[in-house]
Amino acid sequence: MTSETQAEDVPRTDETVDPEAPSIDRLDEEGEIAADYLEELLDIADLDGDIEIDVENGRAAVEIVAESGGRSLRRLVGADGEVLDALQELTRLAVQTKTGERSRLMLDIAGHRAERRAALVAEAEEVITQVRATGQPVALEPMNPFERKVVHDAVAAAGLVSDSEGVEPSRYVVVKPASD
Amino acid sequence: MLADALEHLVRGIVDHPDDVQVDSRSLRRGELLEVRVHPDDLGRVIGRGGRTARALRTVMSALSAQGSVRVDVLGLDGR
Repeated sequence: MTSETQAEDVPRTDETVDPEAPSIDRLDEEGEIAADYLEELLDIADLDGDIEIDVENGRAAVEIVAESGGRSLRRLVGADGEVLDALQELTRLAVQTKTGERSRLMLDIAGHRAERRAALVAEAEEVITQVRATGQPVALEPMNPFERKVVHDAVAAAGLVSDSEGVEPSRYVVVKPASD
Repeated sequence: MLADALEHLVRGIVDHPDDVQVDSRSLRRGELLEVRVHPDDLGRVIGRGGRTARALRTVMSALSAQGSVRVDVLGLDGR
C-alpha cells in the first residue's frame, strides 16, 4: 500500500480504531449540525424525509430516509449520486463553519450509498477471486473516493492489497495479490 | 422556493450569514439566481476550483422543476 493510498482513503474496518478519529461527542455534534441544515432545506423545498444520525467508523453518518415510501427524495440523489455528493459537500462545509474543524461526515439519502456499497462489494469479491486465481493485478473502472474506499476495505478484509492510481475524476483501484 | 433554498444553503456555510442576499430573475433560458455574500466569504462560497459554487448549482438544479438553474456568486461590494 502506498502512502498516497493511506492519505487519500484509508481502508478502515470496524475492528481498527483510528487514533486520529474525533471523539464520539464531536461526531454527535457534527450529526446534529448536519441534521439541522438538511431539515431546514427539506422544509423549504417541501420534501418529506426523516433524518437519522449515527457514528460509523470514526465518522458522523447522516441519512435522509423516506417517509412512507415517498419517491421525492430520488431527485436529491441524482444521476450517479451527483446531487447526493454535492449535498454532502455543502453539509460538510456547514459543519465546518460551526465547529471550525474539517468534517468527514458521510451523507446518505434513501439508502443510495448502502445499495451502491453492496454492489461494489460484490464486484470487489469477483475481482478478488480472479486475482487469487491468476496471481495478476486487476484494474477496476474509475470510481469516486467513496466507492474506492469501499473496494479498498473489501480487498483488505480479504487479505489482498490495493492501490489507487490515476488522477481524479479517472482515479481507479488496482487489486494486487497479497505481497509475501 | 429556489431563492429561499439557496439562501439557506449559503447562510449555513459563511461567517456572515446576515449579509447573504439572493435575487432571482427569470431569463429566457431559465432561472438566474444571484447570491451576494460578504467579501470575506466569497472564497468559501466559490470553493477551490469553483467546487462549492458547482455543488450549489447541482443542488439547485435538482430542486428546480424546470431543470437547469444558473447560480452566480458575487461579493456584496459588487466585485
